[in-house]
Amino acid sequence: MVSVPSPTHGAHSVTAVEQPPLPVKLVIAGGFGVGKTTAVGSISEIRPLTTEAAITEVAAGVDDLTHTPGKTTTTVAMDFGCLTIDPTLKLYLFGTPGQDRFGFMWDDVVQGALGGLVIVDTRRLDDCYAAVDYFEHKDIPFAVAVNAFDGEIHHNLDEVRWALDVSEHVPLVVFDARNTGSVRDALLVVLEVALSRAEGTAAG
Amino acid sequence: MAAGEPGPNEAGRSAPGPSEPAGRAPAIRPFLLTAGRVAGGGAGPPLPVETQVVATSSGLGALDSLAFEQHDLVAASRRPQSVAELAAELRLHLNVVRVLAQDLCTAGHLAVHVPNARTTQDISVLRRVIDGLRAVPDSRGTLRDSG
Repeated sequence: MVSVPSPTHGAHSVTAVEQPPLPVKLVIAGGFGVGKTTAVGSISEIRPLTTEAAITEVAAGVDDLTHTPGKTTTTVAMDFGCLTIDPTLKLYLFGTPGQDRFGFMWDDVVQGALGGLVIVDTRRLDDCYAAVDYFEHKDIPFAVAVNAFDGEIHHNLDEVRWALDVSEHVPLVVFDARNTGSVRDALLVVLEVALSRAEGTAAG
Repeated sequence: MAAGEPGPNEAGRSAPGPSEPAGRAPAIRPFLLTAGRVAGGGAGPPLPVETQVVATSSGLGALDSLAFEQHDLVAASRRPQSVAELAAELRLHLNVVRVLAQDLCTAGHLAVHVPNARTTQDISVLRRVIDGLRAVPDSRGTLRDSG
């Protein structure tokens, strides 16, 4: 990290307190192993970081946990990265845990997000239903991105759209989570949805 | 003056030197530090994960008087950092960082910049993000972990 001389008593020379950038965030959702962390890593300027939140204190009272005493220290991991747009604006990318029972994490992370990208593996379409439902119900701008593992997808996009039951106004794209340009373009699709919605709100 | 008053969680006078056990129990000790408090527990919504935290000069001046996690949080915030980055870097639970950051902010040691919820509807911000993202080249090479 930045090497800063360790402060001594009283007289330490500290540079003026830095003004932080405006933070904005996008959420990358989808089932386990679908490529969320890979996508974050492809676009992030830092290696994806992991943070953990304890499930116990947030999910207290959830029935499933009451009869599984071993779960009291369970944590959920969340990977994230960031991209400095300019010194005053920083984009964070959060990969949300995929399972339903971790739904609580989503509100926590998604609150205030510009939008979401739901990553889909066409071999396991049902893994992403929870994420699609979530963004629809929360009315958060989102797009669906089919991760083309090995450069191919196993269904055509119309079939995927039909299977996911997402409306026509939700963009559906094919992308490669390992490819920076591909992830960038998928995120741009999400941001365009967010922008046109904001413009619609402003005009209305 | 902000440094004058140790917080209620201050590790305490009975332990003059660092006496942290070698094998930390990451799930338990942090919540002892917060006296069992959790983020968002009645005192308003929890800090958004992207909330920027930066040490104040009084916080940096008081570093020597801070113990353990409080010390680490202020020291790690010399540069502005998000709550999520601090949690990852210090290997603390997100909610522990939230609680401690709010305590340290109250004590004047940290400045906590809670993002404005309206930003999501801010057309100029959205355009700036779009333009910034468009400028990302197709390939950036070295950062990715393989596998």
